[in-house]
Amino acid sequence: MIRKKPAIVLFQCQYCLASSMDQYWVETELPENVKLIKVSCSGRIDPLYILNAVQGGADGIMVCGCMPEKCHYKEGNLHARRTLSEFCNFLNLLGYSQDRFVFHWMNIDERGVIQSLLTEFEKNLEKLGAQPHLKTRTFSQEKA
Amino acid sequence: MPTTRDQKIQAEAKRLLQEGVVDVVIGFTKGTLPYKMQPCFIQHAEDVEQLELNGLCSNNLAVYLNHRPKDERTAIVVRGCESRAVQTLVLENRHARENLYLIGVPCIGILDLQKIQQHEQDPVLAIQEEGDQVHVTLKSGEKTFQRSEILHNACLHCNHPLPVNADMIIDEAGLFEERTFDKSYLESFRSLSLKERYQEFTKEAERCIRCYACREACPMCYCEECFVNHSRPQWVDSTIDPAGQQAWHIIRAFHQTGRCVSCGACERACPMNIKMTYLTDLLNQDMFKEYDFEPGLDPALMPPFLALGEDNEKFGVGPEGSHAG
Ligand code: SF4
Ligand code: SF4
Repeated sequence: MIRKKPAIVLFQCQYCLASSMDQYWVETELPENVKLIKVSCSGRIDPLYILNAVQGGADGIMVCGCMPEKCHYKEGNLHARRTLSEFCNFLNLLGYSQDRFVFHWMNIDERGVIQSLLTEFEKNLEKLGAQPHLKTRTFSQEKA
Repeated sequence: MPTTRDQKIQAEAKRLLQEGVVDVVIGFTKGTLPYKMQPCFIQHAEDVEQLELNGLCSNNLAVYLNHRPKDERTAIVVRGCESRAVQTLVLENRHARENLYLIGVPCIGILDLQKIQQHEQDPVLAIQEEGDQVHVTLKSGEKTFQRSEILHNACLHCNHPLPVNADMIIDEAGLFEERTFDKSYLESFRSLSLKERYQEFTKEAERCIRCYACREACPMCYCEECFVNHSRPQWVDSTIDPAGQQAWHIIRAFHQTGRCVSCGACERACPMNIKMTYLTDLLNQDMFKEYDFEPGLDPALMPPFLALGEDNEKFGVGPEGSHAG
């Protein structure tokens, strides 16, 4: 039986990958089960975006931003860290396990980290299996 | 000499209006139904007799600060939760504190009509409060309850029934003392399994008819344009399909993190009797655990999502480059 790979949504701050090779990889060579949402700053990731991904069927959510004190906009990442980690706790209370979230705050000297993070995350998600809850969003094409 | 609580409120309101300290006093008056009270806006000293306050006043009056001109000099009759809501609104620059006069009343709790009226066929005709006891006239006959039996859940769980930072307090001992953080019902929710929690949440959310009465009743919901009303892009389905209902309940609650004052006005406004204060209470409990923050208590402390401290230790990311997920 061929099992479908877990659907991952990657929210990535445009500045967090200092290496242009990594950025190139993320933009062009992501595996098909990973969807990239590139944002101007991790602070711009509204919980609503994450909820939309979850309801649209994401088995896992990965958020990549810059380390504290390295934010292009000074404190966007601090805001993201507080709100999104709490949002992750909150979704965990409502049926979407917190193991399906990964936050990573990149350092500028990191190379090739995003690839290994994604592989590891995918493995963990495969162990967890498909996401059964909160998958309620139907898309307009499907409705028609 | 004014003796009862209502008389004291009236006397103070009269003084404020006569001396021109404020332009309007916001309080409660008798509603059109015998067991409902409604908010009222008193602008003339001769009208103060209308003011009353009892366990049937179910709205949170702080909500009207969002609808009145910002520079209007306003007096409000506030109970514990309302004073905390005013505090938070002032912190968020919705109103200037110097234009406000808070007439604080130690809260006696709000009665839950749902607990009184058990059957549709047996409507409530009148309610008479007498200290600890509440006499109810139902269609089927008289009934007497202990006040604590029929209090709204939000009031049963309330920690701070005494007004915070009020300009004066109507000195009558409330039935409540300040209490400890008793949120054991939240712990029992937390101890459920992932699936049970999801079922519990869906059971409530799926009855929602998207009337947004909860939003209108909430003093902390004041956005000019709510995220559910956006049409381009449309973030959330506006119909009563499960995705939209869940999204509304999740995001509405999340926007209240560290801001909700646990007044329960949203639940009392809901025509479908949907439970929702447990969501905001859970979030506030997290804020209390992690940032030692309770909404509306400290007039200078910003909610955690607005005050960005350096919490590197908490998240395991140090400026030196060590990191964890
Ligand atoms: S969310 Fe409900 S309990 Fe919280 S402040 Fe608003 S109306 Fe009150
Ligand atoms: S008041 Fe009740 S039914 Fe109306 S939108 Fe709020 S939760 Fe839904």
